[in-house]
Amino acid sequence: MAEEHSGGPPRDTLEAPSHGPSDTPSRGPFATACRAFRRDRTGMAALAVAVFCALLAAAAPLVTALYGKDPTSHYGQQTPGLLSAEGLPVLPNGGISADHWFGIEPGLGRDVFAQLVYGMRTSLLVALASVAVIAVAGVVLGVTVGYLSGLADRAFTFVCNALLGFPTLLLLLALSPVIQTRFVDPGENEPAWMQFTSLILVFSAFGWVPLAMVLRTAVRALREREFVEAARAVGASRRHVVLRELLPNVWAPVLVHITLAVPGIVTAEAALSFLGVGINEPVPDWGRMISRGSEVFYDDPTYMVFPGAAILVFVLAFNLLGDAVRDALDPRIAR
Amino acid sequence: MTGYLLRRALQAAAVLLAITAAAFGLFYAAPSDPALIACGPKCDTAQVEAVRHSMGLDQPLTGQYLDYLRGLVAGRTISDVDGSPIDCTAPCLGYSYTLHQPVLDAIGDRFPVTLSLAGGALVVIVVLGIGAGFTAALRRGTAADRLLSGFTLVGASVQIYFLGYAVQYLLVYKTGLVPLPGYAPLADGPGPWAAGLLLPWLVLGFVNAAVFARLTRSQTLETMHEGYVRTARGKGLTALRAHVKYTARGAAGPLVQLLGLEAGALFGGAFITETVFGLGGVGKLAVDSVVQNDLPTVVGTVLFAAFFVVVFVALADLVVARLDPRVRLA
Repeated sequence: MAEEHSGGPPRDTLEAPSHGPSDTPSRGPFATACRAFRRDRTGMAALAVAVFCALLAAAAPLVTALYGKDPTSHYGQQTPGLLSAEGLPVLPNGGISADHWFGIEPGLGRDVFAQLVYGMRTSLLVALASVAVIAVAGVVLGVTVGYLSGLADRAFTFVCNALLGFPTLLLLLALSPVIQTRFVDPGENEPAWMQFTSLILVFSAFGWVPLAMVLRTAVRALREREFVEAARAVGASRRHVVLRELLPNVWAPVLVHITLAVPGIVTAEAALSFLGVGINEPVPDWGRMISRGSEVFYDDPTYMVFPGAAILVFVLAFNLLGDAVRDALDPRIAR
Repeated sequence: MTGYLLRRALQAAAVLLAITAAAFGLFYAAPSDPALIACGPKCDTAQVEAVRHSMGLDQPLTGQYLDYLRGLVAGRTISDVDGSPIDCTAPCLGYSYTLHQPVLDAIGDRFPVTLSLAGGALVVIVVLGIGAGFTAALRRGTAADRLLSGFTLVGASVQIYFLGYAVQYLLVYKTGLVPLPGYAPLADGPGPWAAGLLLPWLVLGFVNAAVFARLTRSQTLETMHEGYVRTARGKGLTALRAHVKYTARGAAGPLVQLLGLEAGALFGGAFITETVFGLGGVGKLAVDSVVQNDLPTVVGTVLFAAFFVVVFVALADLVVARLDPRVRLA
């Protein structure tokens, strides 16, 4: 999970740009950041890949309808000549053909391309939902505690330290079956939405900690600044100070953090499914594809290459995107 | 420094206690019945009740937790499924009814594997990560920087459960350049030991080194333009000496903290790497216990891993306090 390093030192993200002498017509900080981002070619390419992934995932039923295959049919078993007696694809390179662009799954004979497109849907759904919860919880807790200090701050720091002390991925691994069995009667098949909910719960329960800690530090620095003092001096309520003075000044670290949290959650979800406690059959999932691929990878390495490469490209794009967002929002970088 | 040391040690102990409570509560509050699992499918209701009683599961949760804590500090006697007593010496992490041995013994049997894997991987992480990051920062903007940054970006994005199988396929199966990964005890000679762990070390090290190199690079770049580094250059130090002596020290804080977190996580069991390379370490034990619903082992391995994380993070904080007086005086 590569989500720890998005914070960095507290920084004054929003001051410098609009006062810079080179920016003659005064521009808002958001417009400045957008301009900087648009000039970053790597960042724009990464954004294009990320948007492409999101569109592919959202339009998965449409894409597979146009392609003419679905992710659950056992093509290899229905059509003779596709799978050998041992269940391996007959055609070279994992059975790649004009009918099955990325080949077919050994054993069950499902279409790899359709599985891959739907697997992206699984990954993105879990990641985006978790990130939404993380962003809300992290912002609310971080900003509140940063502003309050005192006992609340001590309690918060202790809870965060305890949560960081947990071996996260191991705990995710151990917790997923616990949460799943909590709501499902034994012997009953667990509905897919329940697996999604429990995964999102688990990722959210730990994901808010780094974001809240970064925001706490940022708010503690901000609350001593003149503009906050001025707001308090003219009699602004606590609510006004938090919502109108502090909150608008911390969106930059939030944006960077959630961009980098997406690939972290996608890889953690794939890891859980790889280890056998993530999303179950028949919902397509990249991690489970890799797990299946690992059983046959000496005989049919191709089946593992596609989900592995898909995760690599996806994570690479989001890491690059996160870096570009961070650079665009950092006023210390000369433009 | 002594005051800081005491405060930090106390905090680590409190965090560990909180983690034991949380882990115990979460897993023992889970609805899956440990007595039923321990007894097996052939047990009738009376037998399950007997097992439940001998495991102490009919007591309230707080009582079970206090027993657990007592066992952790002083050891205790646990009854097996058939009621025969088992001596579980301190620190007792419970008794696995699936493996039929105390959890700590099960961990102890597998810890040499995890220790060997983590030790070698940490060497790769430090040498590769700091070396690449520092070099890239000092040569910022050159071809070397771009090459190293590209490498670390790929390393930070590739997953062990893909890279591990890919290198095994290419280097072991296709070309035979590297022997099949596996664990041979160090006592049987360092040659087979190192040969079997070479690929896991490199893969685990490379993936983690990439994150480390990125942080090293950004930290070094941030520090190398500080006034005190310029002063050191101004009084006549060569660039390399100034950077090694002053930049490195100024940049080290977050790196040491990340290293502490990584080391803690690795010594607690690298369960993906162990699964991918078929190494029977603590991580594999944890994964197996989750899949088999072996609750005592799950809680035991989680606590074991948490112990390393908390201790190493605290150690890293002490090193940082030693390097930077602002931390210990705050």
